[in-house]
Amino acid sequence: MQLSNPRRMRRLTTGILIALLFLVPMVYVVMISLESSQQFLAHPLVPPVPPSVGNFGSAWQQGDLGPEIVNTVIYSLSAAAISTALSLLIAFPVARHLVRWHSPIFVSFVIGLCLPLPIIPLFIESRDLGLYNNRIGYILLHVEPGLPLGVILLTAFVYSIPTELDEAAWLDGAGYMRYIVRFITPLAWPGIVITFLYSLLGVWNDIIGPVVFLSSPNLFPVSRGVYSFYSSNQSAYTLLAAAVIIVSAPIAFLFVISQRQLLRATMGFR
Amino acid sequence: MWAGIAIGVGFFLVFGIVPTVANLVISFTNYSGLSGTPTAFTGLSNYTQLFTQQGPGFTASILDTIIFVLGVTVVQNVIGMALAHRLVNDTKTGSALRILVFFPIVLGVTVVGIVWLLLFDPFSSPAASFFGLFGVHPGFFGSNSWAMPLVITVQVWQNLGFTMAVYIGALKTIPASVYEAAMLDGVTPWQRFTRVTWPLMAPAVTVNVLFAVIGSLITYNIIYILTDGEFGTNTLGMLAFNTAFGQTADLGLGAAVTIALFVVAVAVAIPLAALLRSRERRLLA
Repeated sequence: MQLSNPRRMRRLTTGILIALLFLVPMVYVVMISLESSQQFLAHPLVPPVPPSVGNFGSAWQQGDLGPEIVNTVIYSLSAAAISTALSLLIAFPVARHLVRWHSPIFVSFVIGLCLPLPIIPLFIESRDLGLYNNRIGYILLHVEPGLPLGVILLTAFVYSIPTELDEAAWLDGAGYMRYIVRFITPLAWPGIVITFLYSLLGVWNDIIGPVVFLSSPNLFPVSRGVYSFYSSNQSAYTLLAAAVIIVSAPIAFLFVISQRQLLRATMGFR
Repeated sequence: MWAGIAIGVGFFLVFGIVPTVANLVISFTNYSGLSGTPTAFTGLSNYTQLFTQQGPGFTASILDTIIFVLGVTVVQNVIGMALAHRLVNDTKTGSALRILVFFPIVLGVTVVGIVWLLLFDPFSSPAASFFGLFGVHPGFFGSNSWAMPLVITVQVWQNLGFTMAVYIGALKTIPASVYEAAMLDGVTPWQRFTRVTWPLMAPAVTVNVLFAVIGSLITYNIIYILTDGEFGTNTLGMLAFNTAFGQTADLGLGAAVTIALFVVAVAVAIPLAALLRSRERRLLA
């Protein structure tokens, strides 16, 4: 499609503005992570030539970032997977009105969306149920926060899948679980991906959970690691920037290799 | 079937409902969390303290909360909608920019917080240098007039990707034939938006507005990292967190704030959802 010139200019300008809004913060952090602290004090905004990589070594050694990244990946993938599966197992019968209590169940999850984290009782519960300070416990404690949004979202997705399919499959004698896995899962895939991503980020962004539910440093996820690194290095800007990049790099990598899938699923791009 | 429902609902009851009910009970006591100190029921005293408290308490934080929630909801949805329109086409630049807008969500709240603290450091940062050119030296996150707009900016910057994704998803479901019909009627682009696109996107607006309102109402982690609730950014979510965990930890009072926050969230969410739904029906009819 040929665009007229002013229209093209406008699209170009907005495109550049969007790019700047999201690129400038990231480029700045990358730049100062490559500056020595002397250079940062003298000319912070001058690109470092030649770049110094010393910050990365010091940040890596000072924070326990490597094992913490592994912990975060384990916690967030497992909790999000459980949470998404359970959401679908509730959403399907609720959307199809297969249970008598479908409406109260749905409404209670809508209310659940509004629940602020009841952190003190949760702490007592985690202690009494043996979930305190261990990996399995930490994962189980993070399943619930993903459920309300998952149930609401997946109910909407299942609702949009025609019921004729159910009837056909049931006539063929497909079992309940088999039907969900073989037919509903692929059809509700965009919703499943969004649910999974949302609850994954809930675990990944949790900064209070690691403080309340964990005490052994070898179990800490990276959100706690980066924050305590920040607290103890508040004025070491270049070091801080390097630490931020170290923890973001694996996530950024995962995101870049999966973005096609992700954006296709969430926004319908081919 | 029942097993599947039971496990999920079980998680919801054990880790969602039970602790909230426990919180409700704690909010009527002087529970301190320390072993050895007796716990007694104190009736509504935590709640009366909430409303009569001097200084940075519940009443003061209501205004901060309103500004934050309104600011985030409006800005996030307006920009999210604009971005969705600009980036809905499946071009190379479009997809590169979509990835870019989505990226902060992936970075996580701690990293995003630190990045913006570095960008707006009052002494040595691009923002400080820029304003220094005009001889102004604002305190940014440490100043009463700057902190709230900046905190809103960061919250929006981080979550814009989701809002945009929902709007793009909705835009892509509008059949091209609808636009062709509108084009034949000779409508202007603005009319096309207000009369065709906007009504058809009503369900997406519902989802985005509701999530932005509830999300910003109960959030605390980004505020905790940026300002710790100081300089006029003490929203209810932040206050609930700080009363239970801050310097003067008071678990009973903290529980009372959490319950009050829950009541506010439900009181806002239910009428809002009803309002948006009736708007959907009106627009889609």
